[in-house]
Amino acid sequence: MSNRDPDNLISTNDETFDYLFKIVLIGDCGTGKTCVVQRFRSGTFIERHGNTIGVDFSMKTVLIDDKKVKLQIWDTAGQERFRTITQSYYRSANGVVVVYDITKRSTFLSLQHWVEEVRRYTSSHVLLILVESLREVEKGEAEALCQYLPEVLQVVETSAKENTNIDSVFFYLASELKRRHENRQINANGDEVVRLGASKKLSSCSSCSYKIF
Amino acid sequence: MEYFKSSLKSVLGSASVENEPSGADTVERLVDRLQSSTLLNDRRDACRALKALSRTYRVEVGAQGMDALRQILEMDRTDCEIIGLALDTLCNITSPKTFDEEVDKHGPNNKVGEQFTEIFIKNADSVGLVLALLEEFEFKVRWPAIKLLMHLSTNRLKDIQEIILVSPMGVSKLMDLLGDSREVIRNDVLLLLIQLTKGNANIQKIVAFENAFDRIFDVIAQEGNVEGGIVVEDCLLLMLNLLRGNISNQNFFKEGSYIQKLTPMFQISSEHDDNPLSTWSPQKVSNVHCMVQVIRALVAPSGPAQAVSNCQRIMRACGLLQALCNILMASGVPADVLTETINTVAEVIRGNSSNQEFLAGVMAPSNPPRPAIVVLLMSMVNEKQSFALRCSVLYCFQCFLYKNEMGQSQLIQTLLPQGNEVPSLTTGQLLCGGLFSSDSLSNWFSAVALSYALIEDNTQKEQLLRVLLATNIGKPPVTLMQQCVMLLQQGSKAQCKLGLLMLLCRWIAHCLAAVKSFLLIDSSIAYLTALLSSQENNDDLQETLLQSMCAMLIGLCVHFNDNSISNYTKEKLCNLIENRIGLERFQDAIGGLARHEVYSRTLKHPQPSAKNPSELLLDHEFCRLSKTLEGVIIKSVLDGSSLHQKNEITIPTLPDSVLITQYKEVIREQSSQIQKLNQLTESLVKEKNELEAQVHDLRSSISHLKDQNLVLRAAQTNLMPEENESINVTTNVTTNVGCTKEAEKYKNVITELEIRLVEYASMVKKYETDFERKLKEKSEELEKLKKDQEDLLELLAEDESKIMRYEEKLIALGEKIETDESSIELDTDDQAECNNSVERIDRLISP
Repeated sequence: MSNRDPDNLISTNDETFDYLFKIVLIGDCGTGKTCVVQRFRSGTFIERHGNTIGVDFSMKTVLIDDKKVKLQIWDTAGQERFRTITQSYYRSANGVVVVYDITKRSTFLSLQHWVEEVRRYTSSHVLLILVESLREVEKGEAEALCQYLPEVLQVVETSAKENTNIDSVFFYLASELKRRHENRQINANGDEVVRLGASKKLSSCSSCSYKIF
Repeated sequence: MEYFKSSLKSVLGSASVENEPSGADTVERLVDRLQSSTLLNDRRDACRALKALSRTYRVEVGAQGMDALRQILEMDRTDCEIIGLALDTLCNITSPKTFDEEVDKHGPNNKVGEQFTEIFIKNADSVGLVLALLEEFEFKVRWPAIKLLMHLSTNRLKDIQEIILVSPMGVSKLMDLLGDSREVIRNDVLLLLIQLTKGNANIQKIVAFENAFDRIFDVIAQEGNVEGGIVVEDCLLLMLNLLRGNISNQNFFKEGSYIQKLTPMFQISSEHDDNPLSTWSPQKVSNVHCMVQVIRALVAPSGPAQAVSNCQRIMRACGLLQALCNILMASGVPADVLTETINTVAEVIRGNSSNQEFLAGVMAPSNPPRPAIVVLLMSMVNEKQSFALRCSVLYCFQCFLYKNEMGQSQLIQTLLPQGNEVPSLTTGQLLCGGLFSSDSLSNWFSAVALSYALIEDNTQKEQLLRVLLATNIGKPPVTLMQQCVMLLQQGSKAQCKLGLLMLLCRWIAHCLAAVKSFLLIDSSIAYLTALLSSQENNDDLQETLLQSMCAMLIGLCVHFNDNSISNYTKEKLCNLIENRIGLERFQDAIGGLARHEVYSRTLKHPQPSAKNPSELLLDHEFCRLSKTLEGVIIKSVLDGSSLHQKNEITIPTLPDSVLITQYKEVIREQSSQIQKLNQLTESLVKEKNELEAQVHDLRSSISHLKDQNLVLRAAQTNLMPEENESINVTTNVTTNVGCTKEAEKYKNVITELEIRLVEYASMVKKYETDFERKLKEKSEELEKLKKDQEDLLELLAEDESKIMRYEEKLIALGEKIETDESSIELDTDDQAECNNSVERIDRLISP
C-alpha cells in the first residue's frame, strides 16, 4: 500500500472534515435547483435537466477559515406530486435554500408557501437563503418580501449559466452555519455552569445568539 | 352513572346465565359499550375484554370493532392504557399469522389479517393516527404501535409505504425511534424499517437522509460489531436495503465516508486459531454474509461505471480489499463465507487495474509461499472443493482478467516455454492440468478460464498458438489447439465439450492465424459438420447447445477466413454448409443458442448462476461474444453461399477488405465533402468581408448624414421665431434623404425670408425717421400756437381792462349794460378747447 496515486491522497483527505451540514434546496418546479447544485458541485452547466425524481444527493467539501466544512446537499424535486416526500427532508436540515425563477412570477409568489412549509417542518434554527435563479433583475421586490419573512437570511441573485454567485451562496451559508455552530458550542459551555456574582447588567445582555434575525 | 353501569352489568350478567351468548353477541355488546359509554373506565374495560377475545373471535372483533377501535385511537389519545389495549387488539386482528385458538380458522393460509388490514387502511388517516402515537413515549403505546405497523406493512406493503410517504414526517418519526433506549423498541423499529425500505427508493432516500447510516453503525458498534447478535444482522439488512440498486444512496454512502467504516468490521481476528470453529458462530457467518453483500451492492457490475470504480478505489485505499484478502487466506473460514468473500473480492477488483494488481501481489501464507491467485485456481480445479466455491473462483478469475491486458499476457506467458528455471506452479500449468483432467467440471472451468485470457487480445491468441504440449516420450509434441480438438473428438462428456468449444470460439474469433491453424488440423471441420448434421437427441439441452456452438465455430471459420487454405476457403466452407447441413438448419442452430433460458440467464450477470454442476453450461463472456457475432456470421455465410450460387460473378473478398474498401469510399466521399465545405467557407468569408466593408461605408455615410441633420436642425430652431410654419415641417421630417432635400428648400426659403427681413428693417427705419421729423414739425407748430395763444390772452386781458374802463365810464355816465357778460363766458370756452388740442398732440408723440 506504499505506492498511492494522487487520487488516493485526495480521497483520504476527503474523509476528514471539521463540520458537516445538511443543506436542502427547495422551490417550484423548473426554477433551476438542479442547475445550481450541478454548477456548485462540478462547475458545469447543463441546459436541460430532466425533472428530479424525489431527491438527489450530492456532497462537497469547502474550506472556510482553514476548516473543512462538508456540505450534504439534498436537491429536492419541485413537482407537486413529490411535495409530501420532500417535506420529510426539511426536518433535520441545517440550511434551506429556496430557489425561485426571476423570470417566472408564479415561482416568486409561491415563496410564501415554501417558507411556511419550512416554518412548519424544520427545527427552529435552520438558516434560510433565498436564491434568485437564472437572470439579473432588480431585487427590490424580493427584499421587500423579506421584511415579512424574518427567517430569510439573505437574498442572492445567481445564474447557474453564467456562474454568478453560485459558489458564494454556498460559501456564505457554510460560513454562517459554521459561525453559529461555534457560537452554540460556546453558549452551551457557558450555560452549563451558573456562576453567582458573575451576572451582567440586564442592558448589556444581547438577545439570544441563534436568533440574530 | 354508576347506577346505570351496575344495572347494565346485571342485565348482561343475568343474560349470560340464562343462555350462553355466542362469541359474536359478546363482541357486539362490548363494541357497543366501547362506542357509547361515556366513562373512560367503562371503555377501558370493554377494550380490555375485546383484546382478550380478539384472538379467539378474531373475525367478529375485527368485523364489528374496527371503527370503534379507530375511534378510540382518535378520541382517547390521552389515556395510554386504553390506547395500548386498542393497539394490541388491532395487532391481533391484523396479524398475518393464524392463531391456534382462533375459532373460524380458514386453513393456515387464511387472509383474515390481510383483509382487516385493507379495511383499516381504507381510511388513510388511520395510519396517520398510529404514526402519531409513535411519538408517545409510554412503552405500552409505542411498542404495540410499532407492532401494528409491522403487521400492516407485512400484509399490505405497497399501500403502507405510500401512506407513510405521504404523511408528514412519517419516516422521520420512525427514524427517531432508532435512538430509543429500550432495546425492544429499537430492534422492532429496525425490523419495521427493513420492511418499509423494501423496493421503495423514496423511503430509502429519506431514511438515509435521516442519518440512517450513522445510526446503523452506532447500533452495530453497540451490539459488538461482527461478533454481535441478530440485531447486527438486522442493521446490515437495513443497510443493504438502503444501498441495493439505489444509486443516490450509494453515492451518499461513498461521499459520507461510510465505506471506510466497513473496514474495521472485516478485520476479523485470527487469534483463536486453536479452535477455529468456535470463532465462526452461525450468527457471525450470517453477519459476514450481510457485510459482503453490502460491499457487493456498492460495486455491482450493473452499477454506473464511474461510481463503481470510485468505490473500488476507496475500498483499496481504506484497506477493505486487504481485509477481504486476509479472510481469503485465513484458515478455518467456513466454505460459504469463503465463497461469498471470493465473489466480493471479484467485484471489488473487476475492471480496476490497481485493484487487480493488488490481488496479483497477494501471497498465500503457504509453504512455499504462492500467489493467492494460484491457490485459488488450485481449488477451482480440485474436484473435492464445493461447487459454489469453484464457481466463485472462476468469477474472481474472470474479474481479475477483465480489462486487464497485463494479467492476460502474464497468464499466457506461463504457458510458453520459459528459459531455464521451472517455477513451482503457475496459473497456466494449473489451467492446462484442469483442461486435460478426467473431471469434466474441471475441464469446463479451465477452458473458460483460459478463454478469459484471450478476450479482445489478438496477440495473446497468436501467442497461445505457439504453446506446445509434451506428450509421450518419442512422439512429437502437439500444439494446444490440436490437443483441444482431439479432446473434443474423444471426449464423451458434453460439459467438457462445451467448455472446449467456447474456448475455441473465443480463440479463433477475430484471429485469422488461429482460424488457419484450426482448419489445418485434420478432421476438425469434418467432426463439426458431423456433429451438426446428426439428428439425434434434439430435445436434449446439452446436445442442442453443442450443435449451436459447432455452428458458431464453423461460422467463425467462414467469417474470419483469409482463403489461405485451399481446402477450406470461404467459398468451400459455405458450400459444405449448404450441402451437408443445409443453410436453414445452420441458421437455426446458431440462432437457437439465444432461445435457451440458460443463455439469457447467463447473459444477465457475469457471475455464474448455476446452482449445481450439471447446470453449468454457458459462460457469460461467451454469450456476449456470440451475441455480437451471431449476426455477422449468418450474414457472411449467406453472402458466401449466394456468391457461390451466382457462380462467382464477383471475386469473393474478405469481409475485412470489403469493409476497408467501403470505408475508403466513405472516407473519399467525406474528404470531397470537406473540400467542398472548405471552398464554401472561403467564399462565404470573402462575401462576409465585402459585406462588412459595405456596412462600414454605410455606417460612415449615416454618421455624415446625421451630422448634417444636426446642423440643419440647429439652423431650423434659429428660424423658428420668425416662421412658425417651419416647426411643423421639421418635426415631420424623419428620413435623412428627404431631410436634406427639404433642408435645401428651407435654406432657400430662409435666405428669401432674410432678405425680406432686411427690407422690412430698412422700411421700419425710414418710417421712424419720417415720424421723428413730423413730430418735430408738429411740436414746433405747437410752440408757435402756444405763443400766439399767450399773445392773444394778453390782448384779451388788455381788451377786458379797456372794456371795464369803458363800462365804468358808462356806469358813471348812467348807462345800463347786459350783453357783455355773455361775451366773456364765450371767451373762456375757447381757451378750454385750445388746451384740449394740445393734449391730443402730446399723445401722438409719446408712443
